[in-house]
Amino acid sequence: MPVSVLLVDDDEEFLAILAERLTIRGLEVTTAASGRAALDLFGTAWFKVVVLDLQMPDMDGLEVLERLVALNPVQQIIVLTGHATVTKGVRAMKLGAADLLEKPVDIRELVEKIKSAAASAPAVPAENRAGRSPYSPQEAPRPGLLRTLRGLFAGGE
Amino acid sequence: MSSYHGKVDSLGLSFFGSMTASISHEIKNSLAIINENAGLLGDLVALSEKGRPLDPERMKTIADSIRRRVQNADDIVRRLNRFAHSANQPVVSAGIRDILACTIVLSERLATMKGVSLALADGDEIEVQTLPFVIENLLWICLKNIFLLAETGQQVVLDARREASDIVVTLRCTPEIPVKQLESSVAAEGQPLIFFLRVQAQADPDGSSLHLRMPIRFIE
Repeated sequence: MPVSVLLVDDDEEFLAILAERLTIRGLEVTTAASGRAALDLFGTAWFKVVVLDLQMPDMDGLEVLERLVALNPVQQIIVLTGHATVTKGVRAMKLGAADLLEKPVDIRELVEKIKSAAASAPAVPAENRAGRSPYSPQEAPRPGLLRTLRGLFAGGE
Repeated sequence: MSSYHGKVDSLGLSFFGSMTASISHEIKNSLAIINENAGLLGDLVALSEKGRPLDPERMKTIADSIRRRVQNADDIVRRLNRFAHSANQPVVSAGIRDILACTIVLSERLATMKGVSLALADGDEIEVQTLPFVIENLLWICLKNIFLLAETGQQVVLDARREASDIVVTLRCTPEIPVKQLESSVAAEGQPLIFFLRVQAQADPDGSSLHLRMPIRFIE
């Protein structure tokens, strides 16, 4: 069964091309061009992994992240951003992001991270998918995030 | 250097940092699209090697997108270059509308993130003797404080007119925002620049505007 991915970015051209490239690689991709659209979709469908931009006009990516985690504390979310500051990266980590990547991204790395996040996602019973989960945000797995942050910020912001 | 000049410089450095961070983000976004388009070309070629025919129209669309984004990135770099040079410019003769237009272009991405649209009113150019970077810095402080008070959909129109030996720059906000509060926050944050440029910052609650009156010739 293909991994279902919700791709959230306000640049619609970027969204369309990346969605096509991920689909070619066997992923089942749904796109949302705003934070609000992502939250609307999240209420109606189940996604194994969310790939989220941090800077969007209608709603800050961190706010979207916080709301997604509130809806499902074990949701696997990969932050994909044009420029992450240390503050935002750490905040994303604390909020429960599984990983963080900077644009432009290597598609192989992104697919690898998506598959790794999908593999780490605990099985969530259908009745818990849109509501509270037995897991707390702190228990949500965050594979590789600390390593990624160290790599991204090795030379300062 | 006096502590007062130090404050002007410190505000300038902060402004320069905010703008270059924003511009570098824009460049990254353009690079990301170019990267994905190049990657998609590679994907489509790889698929064609497995028997899926290449669609020439699709290739053309991708090439057009790459060209457009390269042009966009080039525009951004030109803007960055112009901005970087303005930081070490002495007093120069410049058009006030040109300075307002540059400020709008520099602030546009951050305005969009806040749901605010910026525009320049029509009008004739007026030559001023000034330090463009310092005026842009003060205007940025005004805009930043408007963003804090604005709701999504806010419009800000910048305009300039000559009054005797002064120039009056107006930031008109639609819908109305509490401009008296804006006047106070701009006065507090931009005080060294206001003093340096001999600006009078005054709110016009009826017009929901902030007026910046300054001499047409800057004298240090």
